[in-house]
Amino acid sequence: MENGFTFAIGPVVIGLSIITTWGIMLAITIIAWLSTRHLDILPSSLQSTAEGIVAAIDEAIAAVAPEHGRQIMPFIASLWLFLVIANLVGLIPGLHSPTRDLSVTSALAVLVFFSVHWFGIKTQGLKNYLHHYLTPSPVLLPFHIISEFTRTLALAIRLFGNMMSLEMAAMLILLVAGFLAPIPILMLHIIEALVQAYIFGMLALIYLAGAIQSQQLNSQE
Amino acid sequence: MEFNLSTFVLEIINFLILIWILQRLFYKPLLEVIAKRKQFIDQSLNDAKKLQQQAEEQRSFYENRQKLWEQEKQAATAALHQQFEIERRAQLDRLNADLEQERQKAKVTLSKQQQELQQQAEKQALRNGAKFAGMLLQQSTGPELEARLFTLLMDNLTVLPEACRQSLIALGIKKTVPVKLTSAYPLTAEMRQQLEQKLGTLVNSPINFQYHQDQALIAGLRMDIGAWVLNANLQHELVGFAEISYESE
Repeated sequence: MENGFTFAIGPVVIGLSIITTWGIMLAITIIAWLSTRHLDILPSSLQSTAEGIVAAIDEAIAAVAPEHGRQIMPFIASLWLFLVIANLVGLIPGLHSPTRDLSVTSALAVLVFFSVHWFGIKTQGLKNYLHHYLTPSPVLLPFHIISEFTRTLALAIRLFGNMMSLEMAAMLILLVAGFLAPIPILMLHIIEALVQAYIFGMLALIYLAGAIQSQQLNSQE
Repeated sequence: MEFNLSTFVLEIINFLILIWILQRLFYKPLLEVIAKRKQFIDQSLNDAKKLQQQAEEQRSFYENRQKLWEQEKQAATAALHQQFEIERRAQLDRLNADLEQERQKAKVTLSKQQQELQQQAEKQALRNGAKFAGMLLQQSTGPELEARLFTLLMDNLTVLPEACRQSLIALGIKKTVPVKLTSAYPLTAEMRQQLEQKLGTLVNSPINFQYHQDQALIAGLRMDIGAWVLNANLQHELVGFAEISYESE
């Protein structure tokens, strides 16, 4: 889908998705810097908003992973914030959501895949972590392995497919029906963008929590 | 739907950088300030609880103190009432004593007033009696009674006590002795002569006789020789009886 502006630095091709991602990162960084520039016990309106977002994310993560929530919070929170903005940025005329690019969603899914194992091994140790693949029966090991890959693939394809189809549908309706006709589709785009960001982040959170707490669940059993 | 490896790798790097930036710039300071605020709120709550506890203790202390004050107040009030009662009884006793004293005084005063009234009534009765006796004697008097009283005077002059006789003699040493004779009826010449002779024997000096008439004497005579008065009349006798009656009472 790299049908826009691209350039190459040696072997590295810089596509529109990467440039948009940099723009999103810059915007997020500026907003984060502005909101945390003058932190005080008595917060300003901007600080209150930022604290509200962080507190809500922290609470949602703590509800799923109460013991190790703070460890995985930066990763999950960054996923949510980035995906919300990345999904919604397609509504701005002339810009495209980076998440309609399979390379971007695949990169995020792969990050989730490695994060699951990283945090699992970090919290439980390699032996304990690998042991959970053999429970409740070693016979299920191949299914566990397959599920690891398929769910990662599903994460990438789900987000990519939804966002691409939304933009495609809006474009097709605009071509067929004309001006103002795609507005309902754009409203659906907003809802779908938020829902998809929430689903991606929540699934990542569940995978991470499952990896972190698998040993605890086994010991409880 | 094409996969670009450069985009894939750069996206992974970008996202890791974004996580690092947000962790340093966003999550960590915000979570710290939230934790600090929570700590501040907890501290404030603890302080408030301590203050509340202190306030409860103070309230309990002051309630106990108030109870003690209430008890002290009741005791003081009871003592005051007792003192009032004692004072009231004392004042009542004093008042009763004063009343009794006043009653006695009134009784004595009444008794005195009754006595005085009785005395006045008796005096009045005596006066009336003397008046009636005087009126009766005045109606029943005459020359005969006058003559008898003259005779009585002459007899009295005859049997004068020695002290009276000496005092009459002493009057005559100096000069002429004035003798004032007052009678209810006019004296006859014979009576005057007998009297002058009798007094002449008693007083050695010349005597200046002055004769007067006074119906108030009822009957009889009164003889004034200087400061010495000799009465032989009914008026003097009646007054004498009345005085004797007063003195006897």
